[in-house]
Amino acid sequence: MCLLYSALLIGPNWETSVLVGGTVFNQLVLWRPGGSKGDSQSQVERRLLGHSGVIFSLCYLQSARWLASASDDRSVRVWNVGVLGADGGCGVESPTCLRVFYGHQARVFCVRLSPGCVFSAGEDGACLLWEWEGNGRVGQTLKGHRSGGIRSLAVSRGGGWVATGGADGGIRAWRVLEGTRLVDQSKEADCQIDLGFSGRGCPKVVRSLGGRDAVLVCTDQGEVLLHQDESWQTVWNGGPEFQSYCVMDVAPVQFQDASLWVCAVGNLNSGVQVFALHHPNSGVLLQAGQGKVHALQWVQGDRLCLLASGAEGLVYRWTLEVIEDKTGLGLRLEKQKSFLLPTCAKRWLTAAVRLPRGNGSLWVCGDRRGSLLLYREGELCEESEVDRENREGGSKEEQGVWEDENRWPESTVNDIAPISPVNTLFGVHGKQGVTSVCEHQGLFYSTGRDGCVRVLTVDRNTLKVRRVHRASKGMEWLEKVMFLGSEISDMYEVIERRKQDGEEEERSITDSGLEIEGVGQKKRDTFNEEAELKKTIGINLEDSGSERFAEARFVMVGFHSIQFVLWDPLTRDKLFSVTCGGGHRSWAYIFPSHTQALPSSHSLREGMLIFIQKGAVMSSRSLTSKATHVRGHTLKDGLHGRGLSCICHLGSVSRGGLSSEEWEVLVTGGEDTTVSVLAIEPGQGTVKVLAVLADHISNVRTLAAVQREPRQKGGSNSRTNTSSLSTFLFSAGGRAELQCYQLLIGWNEQVNWPVCQVTQVAGHRLDEQWERRRNRHKTVKMDPETRYMSMAVVHESIEEILVTLACSDGAVRLFTVRVESRKVELVWENFYHQRCVLSVASYSFEDPQGKQHVLLFSGATDGAVALWDLTTVLDSKSMDSWHGPSAPCFSLPVHQSGVNALVISNEVGPMDKDIITVASGGDDGQLSLMKIRMQLRQEVVFPELLSHWTVPLAHSAPLTALGALDCATLVSTSPDQRVCVWRVCHDGLQNKATVFSHTADAAGLWVWHKKGSGLQSRDYVVVCGQGLQVLELTNGKDPERNEKE
Amino acid sequence: MGRSSKDKRDIYYRLAKEEGWRARSAFKLLQLDEEFNLFKGVRRAVDLCAAPGSWSQVLSRKLRASNESCEEVKIVAVDLQAMAPLPGVTQIQGDITKVSTAQEIIRHFEGQAADLVVCDGAPDVTGLHDVDEYIQAQLLLAALNITTHVLKPGGNFVAKIFRGKDVTLLYSQLKIFFSMVTCAKPRSSRNSSIEAFVVCQNYSPPDGYIPNMSNPLLDHSYDVDFNQLEGPNRIIVPFLACGDLSAFDSDRTYPLQLDSNKEYKYLPPTQPPIQPPYQQACHLRKNNLLAKEDLPSALLGLGALNLGTEQETDASTRETH
Ligand SMILES: C[S@@+](CC[C@H](N)C(=O)[O-])C[C@H]1O[C@@H](n2cnc3c(N)ncnc32)[C@H](O)[C@@H]1O
Repeated sequence: MCLLYSALLIGPNWETSVLVGGTVFNQLVLWRPGGSKGDSQSQVERRLLGHSGVIFSLCYLQSARWLASASDDRSVRVWNVGVLGADGGCGVESPTCLRVFYGHQARVFCVRLSPGCVFSAGEDGACLLWEWEGNGRVGQTLKGHRSGGIRSLAVSRGGGWVATGGADGGIRAWRVLEGTRLVDQSKEADCQIDLGFSGRGCPKVVRSLGGRDAVLVCTDQGEVLLHQDESWQTVWNGGPEFQSYCVMDVAPVQFQDASLWVCAVGNLNSGVQVFALHHPNSGVLLQAGQGKVHALQWVQGDRLCLLASGAEGLVYRWTLEVIEDKTGLGLRLEKQKSFLLPTCAKRWLTAAVRLPRGNGSLWVCGDRRGSLLLYREGELCEESEVDRENREGGSKEEQGVWEDENRWPESTVNDIAPISPVNTLFGVHGKQGVTSVCEHQGLFYSTGRDGCVRVLTVDRNTLKVRRVHRASKGMEWLEKVMFLGSEISDMYEVIERRKQDGEEEERSITDSGLEIEGVGQKKRDTFNEEAELKKTIGINLEDSGSERFAEARFVMVGFHSIQFVLWDPLTRDKLFSVTCGGGHRSWAYIFPSHTQALPSSHSLREGMLIFIQKGAVMSSRSLTSKATHVRGHTLKDGLHGRGLSCICHLGSVSRGGLSSEEWEVLVTGGEDTTVSVLAIEPGQGTVKVLAVLADHISNVRTLAAVQREPRQKGGSNSRTNTSSLSTFLFSAGGRAELQCYQLLIGWNEQVNWPVCQVTQVAGHRLDEQWERRRNRHKTVKMDPETRYMSMAVVHESIEEILVTLACSDGAVRLFTVRVESRKVELVWENFYHQRCVLSVASYSFEDPQGKQHVLLFSGATDGAVALWDLTTVLDSKSMDSWHGPSAPCFSLPVHQSGVNALVISNEVGPMDKDIITVASGGDDGQLSLMKIRMQLRQEVVFPELLSHWTVPLAHSAPLTALGALDCATLVSTSPDQRVCVWRVCHDGLQNKATVFSHTADAAGLWVWHKKGSGLQSRDYVVVCGQGLQVLELTNGKDPERNEKE
Repeated sequence: MGRSSKDKRDIYYRLAKEEGWRARSAFKLLQLDEEFNLFKGVRRAVDLCAAPGSWSQVLSRKLRASNESCEEVKIVAVDLQAMAPLPGVTQIQGDITKVSTAQEIIRHFEGQAADLVVCDGAPDVTGLHDVDEYIQAQLLLAALNITTHVLKPGGNFVAKIFRGKDVTLLYSQLKIFFSMVTCAKPRSSRNSSIEAFVVCQNYSPPDGYIPNMSNPLLDHSYDVDFNQLEGPNRIIVPFLACGDLSAFDSDRTYPLQLDSNKEYKYLPPTQPPIQPPYQQACHLRKNNLLAKEDLPSALLGLGALNLGTEQETDASTRETH
């Protein structure tokens, strides 16, 4: 007897088949289970030794006579075993190990073979394609699952399709075309090609001109050179005026049907030369005030606009127009009012974007000081008639000047006062400056050298930070964001390609069995669904006027020490990296040639970086660039990579009209430190991830939500009859971290899905607060490891929300969250429990005098449940003067060990208004129910315990989650994987139904009643743990499995 | 992660180091004894899956203290791994799923049966939940099997279980052999973990039962019907939380400086972690030898690499408690 972690049966029939077992003792054993007649046990015939960890997966390739094994020791081994099964018996007498592949960063869970190639995948989330030749090089790395790694792997017969199943529940398919593996890449290995820059001096600025090859460079000698078709050519030489300094920017401009490039170069004496690349000698020299031109930016708009940062925080602006005259094409530059930057040391512009608004424009700019600035021009600037006339006069003069050598005449526009920002977020991106701003689908995105992306909205004259996204640790220098197209476009291509590939390939992918249950069928469904979606999106993209309020998917572009990196914040995956030496250098990323308007994360891996290093212009062809033949497709979105600790239901949204389609909106929090907003359509079992909130630095253990009336925008909602939800969401967990968001969930008619808008309201960490308070001489931190275990909203008003938290350091804490000022403050803490507090629940009621009372229950690891009266918090005018209770009203030992869950409800009927029901579930598997009368004497609550019933072994494992459908129906769950429904009767608790759930490690639960007309009302239970499952409680209160993630 | 961060997170880990236990699980056995008086009158004890040896330490200290002559106390510790020697403890490096191991234990007791068998075994945790739970159950059955060979009638058996979806099935199997089975959770075991211990008292095998290693009688099929058993037919095993309520709370986070008079000092672990299976892979990674898209995998003949001196510290993160 021995424990097996994996096994494989090979052979045409039982009598002659060979069984390969991967044992707990790191061996592969081969024997013929059907070989021996009678009772005698068959003996192990071969033992393959070599692994130093248990064996998780086995695969045999008949044609090559290879047996492959994947192990806990992070290696994959391939053995030459000969023919197994049938006449071959247990194969060759003494099998040998042909290859040992070490390349995974964690355990290898699966291995598959196809002729000439070994595929392996594991806990590190990577699927590696190993080349047989040359002793095992990784030919491809396929990544794309969220944390938790890859758990299953399937390869089509020819090796052309690879499918991976993640611990996150996601399924991805990868197209690997023939031939990729055969290319000899040794010459290309991580190569950086020197583009052989041949001009004088040092290249300082590099820009891409679109195509894969065209690169423009500006040198410190005041020269602009173009690299094309592997050769360098001088485009323009600025002469002595432009030497020993260099700023340049280039932009495409449309003229009639052609697109041409215009270039601007600035010098130390306020000169800015503007010229068309194909016509460099007929440029215009502009004057940007006095002194050094710090920075130049071309900004797109209805007309291309040039911004030049001069001295004293003045940003000079010109709009450009291409005109045609007798000598060919000419440039006409029209001076605009300058922008004034806030006073600071490094006073120049680093980024700008412009949006048309009414008759004018809106400008969101970023400066070197890290500030974000909002400018308005046109309509709202109250320009006087005189000014306008002046400018028009001036512009007349400007015409034709480009032909002359003359300097630009001082324009009358100069006399006009510059425009000051209407709103400034001073230094939001830190002292190192803003690096980019852009606009995408109605939202603004800024990046900075503080390692942050800020998502902004403009509300009248104010810039509002909606969310802050932090890059990975060590990636403190962000340069910009790149938006990703939805994977739908990928899927669309699959369908197209599938048509071309014909039936053969299609059959092979469905046939290959795909360990993942039912993928074959699912995949087909997804194809159809996505095709539908693609159609609808097609319409949407053309309708640019529509305002989509959801955030787009993007990757962060920046530097991580000496590397240039494209980082996908959602999958936490480094898509692309080039060792270029780090920041402070000019670079240009060139998209792979087949990229559409918005690239997919996989295609971004295949791009190319042009950068300047030690006076040379370098081009990276990162190795992945040859992998233009690999495409990743998401067949099913992943949820959380690891266990889900908590779940809550926010409500439902529907398309409205005649359609009965209703989506239930759920929020989950998990060990992977993220919070996900999901929409589930119980009828079809479709799950859609609406948003992922990745602000927590540790596990998310608890969630709470407060509903708000959604603002009706111009009555459009009522017209189309769609519903929407507005919610304040709180999440809390490890490292004593609390986050608050405002979520707006509605129906997007263009995509026909629910969408979610996220605004980050506030974030708070207890240790940061301690840090600030800490006495400088004390070196030991108080306790940075405190975890928030549970949370409850105690009270809410328009201005503030009060939440209590159960804390692992033994405290119950109360915080106020002020919505407007976005402040979180600790107002009360009490260490009464002296042990880890596991659960809290609150209850508020109105006494006959109409006075509101607030009660709080808390449960700890010793099984005690305490009741607190927090009513006075409502009366106190200021939080500072409120001290909170120093002891609970009462405390009862209810469980033998931890109180995992607390639920409070009150009796129906007005008579029993003062009787509440407190249900609790414990680590001891017990379910308990107390009825407590809340008597009032002089406005003070005196609780009286009326009855206490228990079900000692409600579950055979810890009762981890509990919910109340109404005051008479409770639902509980546990890692014993049972969901139990309990009825509260006059004499105790009665088990109404028990059902087995597929959710292992059940940790959270939510129950809700869904009103509908007559029979249509339904009761739902959702359980989360390893994955989540929605159950419907049917009439007889039997939970019925509905759908599983 | 700083050296003291585990100290911050886990009070029993710290206490174990302060009191000289090789692992924090020592407290679990101590607390189980507090509740069930397990060591009373015990002279011959077996510690299955003993490495690094904190339970053997407890047995050694407790049994030898309560018996006048230490000579009479015999403790046998079995593990796949070797462990540092302990006074009065005989080690067998072996597999508890093998009948030869049972025979060897009996030999050490000179043919006499044991009074107590304890098992804190845990397989390598895969992170694949159902696999872990299943393998833990299989290990428990192996421990029970070996116990039927070595335990005297009336003797006690204590073993670690995972309270998962099939735990009821395990209870039913244990109840065949013991008149009293309790599921106990020491306070030093975390509330959040599904780990618990079965305390099986008064060994009384069914009439005519002949211990047999190769054909486990107990391997019931895990069919759904059995799992669905609810109501009156359900096997009920009482639950008991044990250990003094005033003891430290394993879920609570305590400040590093527990006592304002005593300054916190970091102590190194009593028993450094054992060789993890991925040692080789880590060695390759450290030396940048893992295969990447541009580098071939390190070749065969890895024996040449020196692995002896490296200690991977992340081994501790794989502990199951
Ligand atoms: C959690 S540790 C035991 C800790 C120990 N009770 C102490 O207090 O120090 C689990 C041990 O089980 C051992 N083990 C796992 N499977 C085994 C088997 N089949 N035979 C023997 N020992 C085994 C492992 O080697 C490991 O040392």
